[in-house]
Amino acid sequence: MGLEEAIRSGKFIVTAEICPPKGTDISGLFSEAALLQGIVDAVNVTDCPRAMVRMSPLVLSSELIKMNIDTIMHLTCRDRNRIAIQSDLLAAHALGIRNVLAMSGDFTTMGDHPYAKPVFDLDSVQMLQVITKMNRGFDLMDNPLGGATSLYAGAVVNPGARPLGFVRIKLQKKISAGARFIQTQAVFDADLFNEFMDEFKSLNIPVIAGIIPLRSAKSAGFMIENIPGVKIPQAAINRMESASDPVTEGLKIAAETIDRIKENCQGVHIMPIGNHDHTKRLLEMCSLL
Amino acid sequence: MIVTRSKPIEEIMDQIDQIMDQKICVIGCSLCAGKLKTGGEPEVKNMIRQLQDKRVNVIDGVVLKHACSIESWESLIKEQPVISDAEVLLVMSCGIGVSLLGRLCDKIVIPALDTVSLGAALNDEILLEMCSMCGQCTVGFFSGLCPKSGCPKSQLNGPCGGSNDGECEVRERKCIWTRIYEVMEAKNMLSMLNETLSPTEYNRGL
Ligand code: SF4
Ligand code: SF4
Repeated sequence: MGLEEAIRSGKFIVTAEICPPKGTDISGLFSEAALLQGIVDAVNVTDCPRAMVRMSPLVLSSELIKMNIDTIMHLTCRDRNRIAIQSDLLAAHALGIRNVLAMSGDFTTMGDHPYAKPVFDLDSVQMLQVITKMNRGFDLMDNPLGGATSLYAGAVVNPGARPLGFVRIKLQKKISAGARFIQTQAVFDADLFNEFMDEFKSLNIPVIAGIIPLRSAKSAGFMIENIPGVKIPQAAINRMESASDPVTEGLKIAAETIDRIKENCQGVHIMPIGNHDHTKRLLEMCSLL
Repeated sequence: MIVTRSKPIEEIMDQIDQIMDQKICVIGCSLCAGKLKTGGEPEVKNMIRQLQDKRVNVIDGVVLKHACSIESWESLIKEQPVISDAEVLLVMSCGIGVSLLGRLCDKIVIPALDTVSLGAALNDEILLEMCSMCGQCTVGFFSGLCPKSGCPKSQLNGPCGGSNDGECEVRERKCIWTRIYEVMEAKNMLSMLNETLSPTEYNRGL
């Protein structure tokens, strides 16, 4: 069952994130994918996250599809103008990719090429509009395409951002522009997330909550410093600091968060630091396997 | 105002390395660069001193009223005859002044500044990225504030995911969308933010 069908069926969705390599060797991908095969509904393939140069997500998404794993390809507005965005969307369709997560992208100065020219010709709402048009068989300028795309578009939201009225502006526009599902940035604070869901439940869009199992107190600190918009409660950091087995403690914290939010959303999205060695264990811990 | 920054002297030296013996005139601009203290009288004098220390053949320095708006080359050298004696012009103005001199005369023209932003001077404060000359002004939707230039990611339809508690994730300043939200709320125009704006029509005025 592909992601769209799974979401429509109303089932609780599990997705997981893979980051393409910085280099030409994609063998690591296959071992990661093997860990996820059969335990997730789809795998997200990131698009040069934190503005670091990495392999294009087009290639890896297509490889995963060959392995019969449904993928959600990330596409940012940071590195492509409207021509390149549409070109990549056509390519994605041709390669069998059906799910695309439209996002603005981390800013260039965060990454390893701080002097790159930031593009941002479109914003994520406009990218979603483009996908909607292409699904109807037209490009952004209403020129007919030789064949419409059939892309299932998703959007991102930070459920920890406040004030909520401020978050609402763009979220609502994303949905009107054609977002059919939402994947969120990492949730560490279940209360903040549930408050967010209470506010937006009436929008009736499937929300898949992002989960990052912490690996150490240090990694928590790193995330607060380096990932925009991440909020980690002090209690979680304290637990990580005093844990004798921090990896297991991080999984426990993640499982508890999932338990506390799962009634309120339609899925979770696992984004581990490093690899997926413990993803299966995490899903077992919160009875999702 | 066009915001400029001084180039590191090493970068300037790299550019004049091969032509150090030629007669160089330093040209400042009293308008934006003068006000910003990147190309006014004191900066021109300071540049001359630095170049002389490095044995560059500087013949003089002048400060133009506005390097971006010149009647003609003839009128310019009539006003500032020393310019015509020079073989190289080292220009301490924004890129517009440099480009204009570059096309008006047969001398070698070299910039001494980097042009970084269209900004505003508010009392002593310089506000950066006030307009990026996109060619289709849509600030009417935001009561004058510009998210295309004020937001590093040019987010036209709402804040990016990194905007939180008012701060911009990229620059050390308030998120422009926080500012827009506050201004629109105060002016009772919040509902206007629900309108989805189409992609900018770049190039239409050129
Ligand atoms: S919308 Fe365009 S023209 Fe208007 S202020 Fe912003 S960048 Fe300048
Ligand atoms: S925080 Fe605000 S100003 Fe900064 S990049 Fe995001 S939307 Fe733009």
